[in-house]
Amino acid sequence: MNPVIPAPVPVPLPAPVWLVHLLQIFTFVWHLLLMNTLVGGGVMLAISSYLGRRDPHHRDLVQRLARVMPPVIAFTITLGIPPLLFLQLLYGQLFYTSSVLMAWTWLAVVLLLMVAYYGIYWFNFRQEALGARGFWVTLVTALILVRIMLTYNQNMSLLERPQDFYPRFLQTPVGHYLGSFDVGTLLRFAHTLVAAFAVAGLGLMLLTRVWRAEAPELAAWAQRYGLRWFLAGTGVQFLVGPGYLFSLPVEIRNSFLGADTLGTAILAAALVLAVLAMVMARRSPVFAAVAIAGTVGLMVIIRHLVRLARLRPYFDPHTLPVQGQWVVFAIFVVLLLGGLATIGWMLYKFFRPASARATSA
Amino acid sequence: MPGAERPHYGLTMNYPVWEPPLLGGGLVIGIIAILHVFVSHFAVGGGLFLPLTERKAYRENNPALLEYVKSHSTFFVLVTLVFGAVSGVGIWWAIGLVNPEATATLIHVFVWGWAIEWVFFLVEIAAAFIYYYGWDRLDAKTHLLVGWIYFVAAWLSLFVINGILAFMLTPGKWIEAPSFAAAFFNPGMLPTCLIRTAVSVVLAGVYALLTASTIRDVALRIDVVRYAAKWVLAGAVAIPFGALWYIAVLPPLAREIPAGAASAVTIFAALSVFFSVLVVTFTYFGPYQHPRYFNLAFAVLIAVLSLSSLGVTEWVREAVRKPYIIYDYMYANTLRVADVARVRQQGILKSALWVRQHAVDPERPEVSGREVFRVQCASCHTVDGYNSIRFAVKGWGPEMIEYQLLHLNELKAFMPPFVGSEAERVALRTWLLTLNPQPTIREPAHPGVQAEVPAVDRPGATKP
Repeated sequence: MNPVIPAPVPVPLPAPVWLVHLLQIFTFVWHLLLMNTLVGGGVMLAISSYLGRRDPHHRDLVQRLARVMPPVIAFTITLGIPPLLFLQLLYGQLFYTSSVLMAWTWLAVVLLLMVAYYGIYWFNFRQEALGARGFWVTLVTALILVRIMLTYNQNMSLLERPQDFYPRFLQTPVGHYLGSFDVGTLLRFAHTLVAAFAVAGLGLMLLTRVWRAEAPELAAWAQRYGLRWFLAGTGVQFLVGPGYLFSLPVEIRNSFLGADTLGTAILAAALVLAVLAMVMARRSPVFAAVAIAGTVGLMVIIRHLVRLARLRPYFDPHTLPVQGQWVVFAIFVVLLLGGLATIGWMLYKFFRPASARATSA
Repeated sequence: MPGAERPHYGLTMNYPVWEPPLLGGGLVIGIIAILHVFVSHFAVGGGLFLPLTERKAYRENNPALLEYVKSHSTFFVLVTLVFGAVSGVGIWWAIGLVNPEATATLIHVFVWGWAIEWVFFLVEIAAAFIYYYGWDRLDAKTHLLVGWIYFVAAWLSLFVINGILAFMLTPGKWIEAPSFAAAFFNPGMLPTCLIRTAVSVVLAGVYALLTASTIRDVALRIDVVRYAAKWVLAGAVAIPFGALWYIAVLPPLAREIPAGAASAVTIFAALSVFFSVLVVTFTYFGPYQHPRYFNLAFAVLIAVLSLSSLGVTEWVREAVRKPYIIYDYMYANTLRVADVARVRQQGILKSALWVRQHAVDPERPEVSGREVFRVQCASCHTVDGYNSIRFAVKGWGPEMIEYQLLHLNELKAFMPPFVGSEAERVALRTWLLTLNPQPTIREPAHPGVQAEVPAVDRPGATKP
C-alpha cells in the first residue's frame, strides 16, 4: 500500500531548511536537558519521598528538590516550544497526521501536564501538611511525567513512519489510536527514560554546590547519591542504547556502524564523551555535565539523521520552496540576544552573594 | 473497497478528521481558548498591577499593602505560570488536531512572529520566577524593575500573538500580496490590541478583587478593594472605543452576522454587551462605592461575569469569521478558496486523502455520504452534540436537503458552499435522510409539486 502523506501547505518556507534544522536541533538540546532533569528529578523526588519516611537524608533532599522543580517544569515547557514550532514548519504534514491519529492521547498531554505541574506546586507548598501522603502526590506526578514522555516518543516515532498512517487510519477511529507499543518504540522510550535518570543525577550533583555552604553534610551525601544515579543511568544506557540502535532498519543502523563516516564519527564521539563523563563525574561534576551536554547534543544530531533517513523514501524538506523573511528573522535574533541578556542580568542580581546584595541595597 | 487507489500527492483536504463526540473540534478549541484567554489576559494586566501596587506601597510606606502584593504574587504565579502557560500550549495542541491545515498555514506565514513571541514569553517566565522568589533576595528598586520587565515582556507577547490572531479574520493585503508585514499589520491588529490591553487591565482588577476580598485587616481591605475596582472601571472605559474601531474594519459579512444574519450570534453579541455592562455596574456599585461590604462571594460573581463576557465575546469573534477560518483564503472546513473549482470538478472524495472510500459506493450511498460529511462538515458540525446536524436537518425531506446543499452559502452566508460532485451531494443527502425518521408525506404546498421521497435516497429501499 502506498503511504498516504498530506501535501505541505502551498506557502513558501520563511527560511532555508538548513537554518530551520539548525535552530530545531539547537533548541531541542536545551529542552531535552531540562526535560531529562524534570522527569528524572520527578522520579527521584518520588523515591526520596518514600525513603524519606525513615531516612533523614532523603527527607532533607526532598525539601530542597521540591523547591527546584517548579522552575524546571516551567522552563522545560517553555524551551519545548521552539523545537516543536520548527518541527511543525518542516514536518507539519507528518506531525499533524500522527497527532490527529492519536488525538485523545496527544491532547491528554495537556491535561496531564497541568495535573503534574499543580502536583509539583502542591507538594512544594504543602509538604509538611501532606506528611506521608506527600509520597502519593510525588508518585502520581512522576508517573504522569513518565507517561507524557512515552506519548512524545510514540508520536515522534509514528511521524517518522508515514507508511503506518493509513493502516492505523483504517484500523481505528481517528483519534483513538493509543500509540505504538512495539519493541522499537519501547526501546526508544527506555533510551530516553534511562537518559533522564542519568541527567537528573548529574543535575543533583551540580545543585549540591549551591547548598554546600548552608548544608555541607547534606550536600556531600546528595553529591554521592546523584553520582550513583548518574553512573547507574549511564551504565544501563550502554545496554539500552545499542538495543535501540539495533531496532532501527539495518541500513540506518549501519550508517552509524561504519557504513557512513560522519554518522559513525558522531556516535563514537557521543560514546567517548559519555565514558569521559562517567570517569570524571566524581572528581569534576562540571566537566561531566559539559561532557554529557555534548553527548546529548550529538545524540540529538543522530536522532535528526535517523529521522531524515527514515523519511527519505517519502519526504525531503529540501524540496519545499523557500522565500526567506530575513528582516523578521534579524529582528528575532536581535530580540533573542536582548532577551537572553535581560535574563542574564536578572539572574546575576538574583544569585549574587548576599553580602553584595546588602551593599547595593 | 470502491476507489481504493490513492489519489495523487498534493491535493487539498489533507488531514484525517478528528470528531470529538458531542463537543466537536470547534468547542474543544473554544473551551480551552476561553479559559486560557481569561488567564492569559490576567497574566498581562496582573503584570502591570503588581509593580504599580508595589510602588504604591513603597511610596505610601505601607508595609501591609506590600504584604498583600506579596501574597497576590503567589496567586498570580499559580494561576498564570501554570494554568496560563499550559492552557496556551493546549490551544496549540487543539488547533493542530482540529484544523491542522490552517495551523500549518499560520506557522508558515508567522513562524518568526511566533519565535519572537517565544522570546518575550521566555523573558516573561524568567522575570515572573525572579519576581516571585526575589521578594526577600532583591532590593526594592531591582525587584520593582524585574516587575516592569515582566510586564513589558508580557505585553509584547500579547502584541505579537494578537497580530497573528487578528490576521485570521482580517488578513487584509496579505491575500493579494503575501508578506509577513502585510499579514501581521493587518487591519484588525491595532483595534484588537487596544481591546485586549484594556481587557487585561480589567482582569487585573477582577483578580485583585478576588484576593483583596480575603484580606483580614478591614482598613486595608477597603483600600485595596476600592483600588482594584478602579482598575476594572478604568480598563472598561477603553473597550467600547476599541470595539467600535474593530467593527469598522471588519469585512461586511462579519458585521452583518451578529447584526441579525444569524440569530444565535446576535444573541451572543448582545450577551457580550450585557455581561460587560453587568461587570461594570456591579463593580461600580459594589466594591467601588461600598468596599466595606464587599466579600469573596461578590468577587467570585464579578469574576464569573467577566469570564462569561469574555467567553461569549470570543465565541462571537470566532463565529463572525465564518464561513472562513482564514478570511477569503481558507474555509472553516480547511478547503482553500482557490481549490474550490478543482475539488468541485474532481469530487471531494477523490480530493480528500483521508477517506475510506474515494468514490461514491452506489450500493451504499449513505456510507459514502457519511464520509462526505466527515471531510466537509465535521469541522463545525457534530452528528448529535454541539451544532448537531441531526437537529439541523430534522423534518427536512429530500427536496429541502437538496435545495439547502445546492445553495448552502447563499441561504446561510456563514456557511461554505457545498463542494463536491453531484453523486457526492446525493450521497450526503441520502445519509442526512437516515438521521431522522422521515416526515410523513403531506399535501404538497403548491399544486403540481410532488413531495415524494425518491426511493434511491433511502438506504435499504427496494430499487426499481
